[in-house]
Amino acid sequence: MAALALRGLVKRFDTKIAVAGVDLDVPAGSFYGLLGPNGAGKTTTLSMAVGLLRPDAGAAFVLGHNVWADPVEAKRRIGVLPDGVRMFDRLSGAELLAYTGLLRGMDTAAVDARARDLLDVLGLADSGRTLVVDYSAGMKKKIGLACALLHAPRLLVLDEPFESVDPVSAALIRDILHRYVHGGGTVIFSSHVMEVVEKLCTHVAILADGAIKTVGTLDQVRGGRDLEEVFVEMVGGRTATGQELSWL
Amino acid sequence: MALAVEAATATTTGAGRDPRAWDFVRLKLRLLRNGFRGQAWRVVAFVFGLLFGLWAAGLAVLGFSVSADASPDVGFVVAAFAGTAVVLGWTLVPLLFFGVDETLDPARFALLPVPRMILARGMLAAAFVGVPAAATMLGTSGLVLAAGRRFGEAELGAAAVGAAFVGVVTGLTLGVVASRAVTSAFAALLRSRRVRDLAAVIIAVLASSIGPLQWAITAAVQQGSLDQAMRIAEVLSWTPLAAPYVLPYDVAEGQWAVAGLRLAITLGTIAALMWWWSGTIESAMIGVATGGAAKPVKGAGTGAVAALIPRALRGVVRPTAFGAILARESRFWWRDARRRASLVSILMASAVLPIALNLASSGAASRGRTSELGFSFAVTMAGTMGGMLLANQFAFDGNAYTAHLLAGVPGRVELRARAAAIALVAVPVQVVVVVAVTLLAGTPEQLPTGFGMLAASFGSAIAAAAVLSVLAPYALPENANPFAINSGGGSAKGMLALVALIGTLVISMPVLVAAFLLGSSAAGAWLVLAIGLAYGTAAALLGTYIAGDVLERRGPEVLVAVTPRR
Repeated sequence: MAALALRGLVKRFDTKIAVAGVDLDVPAGSFYGLLGPNGAGKTTTLSMAVGLLRPDAGAAFVLGHNVWADPVEAKRRIGVLPDGVRMFDRLSGAELLAYTGLLRGMDTAAVDARARDLLDVLGLADSGRTLVVDYSAGMKKKIGLACALLHAPRLLVLDEPFESVDPVSAALIRDILHRYVHGGGTVIFSSHVMEVVEKLCTHVAILADGAIKTVGTLDQVRGGRDLEEVFVEMVGGRTATGQELSWL
Repeated sequence: MALAVEAATATTTGAGRDPRAWDFVRLKLRLLRNGFRGQAWRVVAFVFGLLFGLWAAGLAVLGFSVSADASPDVGFVVAAFAGTAVVLGWTLVPLLFFGVDETLDPARFALLPVPRMILARGMLAAAFVGVPAAATMLGTSGLVLAAGRRFGEAELGAAAVGAAFVGVVTGLTLGVVASRAVTSAFAALLRSRRVRDLAAVIIAVLASSIGPLQWAITAAVQQGSLDQAMRIAEVLSWTPLAAPYVLPYDVAEGQWAVAGLRLAITLGTIAALMWWWSGTIESAMIGVATGGAAKPVKGAGTGAVAALIPRALRGVVRPTAFGAILARESRFWWRDARRRASLVSILMASAVLPIALNLASSGAASRGRTSELGFSFAVTMAGTMGGMLLANQFAFDGNAYTAHLLAGVPGRVELRARAAAIALVAVPVQVVVVVAVTLLAGTPEQLPTGFGMLAASFGSAIAAAAVLSVLAPYALPENANPFAINSGGGSAKGMLALVALIGTLVISMPVLVAAFLLGSSAAGAWLVLAIGLAYGTAAALLGTYIAGDVLERRGPEVLVAVTPRR
């Protein structure tokens, strides 16, 4: 059974079609990269997949549970790191973790133990008493990841987890995600950084203009070429001729 | 939007021309129009606001025209009191209810080479664009009509009409500038943690200054004594509050020096407020006002959960989703500048209203049933405003609400925890107010009735606010000014809050009636307390029950609605 299955997801904003019928199967145990240029519909697709944004058509299934028909069961199984989301940032890191844990109905002892572990591993224990609002961008990503991991979900959905993260933290996050997949978890994350995707992923899908352009294992998609080359070709980017911006 | 000004500048003259005030007005009109695009309900709400404004303005014009037939003294008193109401209204109402329209956010102009005074002038010109300013202008133009009818035949008639026009325009300008200056100053004040205790002092000062004024006016009206009203109007006419509006009376009598002096008072006040305001514009632009860095949390307990739940709540609150939300909400009412601004304004109002009303009725020497009713009404208003703090409760969280949605928090738990938190924060203050009012008035026997009314109205307001917050949430702008609201949509839904306010008063009417019927005897007063507590609890439970159901279905829609658009 697929860890995450999307069936014909469509989302329209006013007159603009943001996502035009996305089908995707994320196999259990895979490390899945969702690639796409800015405005391709990555965030919209993932939001619909986890129950944050109601699709105009289509359905999403998490380990067989329909996200929109049976949200409670589906949400119990996923951990999400949304992009650009303001957290309850006037709490300290430990408080935020405790808050997330209690919202999910976990018991005090488990929340305390796991929060301590996560803060230690992510190197946030020293700033245990600083409010999240004063965290750096990289620290905010890390505490967001900790919130997503706290209830030990079977599927992780991460929107741009490596954006504005320094190399040291990025390496740490990569290690943690690797260990998580090794332990039987499934990760899908969006990105437009080719190097990260090539280094991490077992599977790749390229999304552009709200539709999947190509999908498969990393090697299938690459077909022996450079991933960036494939990506630019699929997305249909343009190259500068040298005629424009002559006044510069 | 800043680019649009630049574009407007660039397309007309290429480069190098400073934007004129008209450019800002055009920019605001454009933004308003774009705000309506594809939002049918916004258009509807706007039209209702417009109709309401027209209706109020029409009534005002009618009233002023009628006053033209009375004696000149009456006309003078009417002009002075109406003018005071207009200017005070413009100054205080944004603080309490609607906030100011920050469609044009000064911060957006930070990168443009626009001189400060030109920017201030442009922002001011744009501030006139809107229903409230138009309605005020239309309504107060009744004073020009009145001047025409009263002095039309007189020797200096034309001059008096002209003076009335000048007065109406400068009066409106004064009101608009004052609303801007006061909200930015108050915003800066509330943003700083150190002075937030000062807010308590301001509450007390405002309460004690509005009280006597209220008393004087009410006493004058109740005794029907024109002399006394005239004396008050005389005093007011030398303050910026009424000075612009009594100009025609001076001019008609040929007292040019007096008229000149009053005009000078008005213009001087406008200039001073402009200067003050333009200073705050600058600090808003360079981001001085984004609030000081939050301080680290002080020594927490050992575990993460123990750190989350404040010491005062430990033992009472169990570590569940309800407890977590309750703990976070009750802290955020103080930690978040925007919430703090709403909370302090509302608590201020709910302290001022009962005290002022009580002083007014006790000064009027007409003790008895009417003053009792006034007291009940004031306490009802206080409780209502306390509960209505939650009318747009999800917007305070913005898209942080995502966390609740992802965790699948049950709707009823969510709404009840939030209601419990605001009760924890607001009710103690209101209880103190009720006690203070009854003690001041020397009527401690009203205490049970007061508490009953408070409980009933607070519970009803929680119910109304829960439903409203789920059905009609709207995003607050990510702005340094905690009083800022979005134009169009925001103010339109602010109107909805007003409707819910009236709805709450209607819901709690049965208890108000019970208080009137039973409140006079000691046993009856205790009965009112019991009824009020039961009624308020039942209303709050029922309201959150219904709204919680809706929230579970509409959660994603609420999230989209409260996410600020970038």
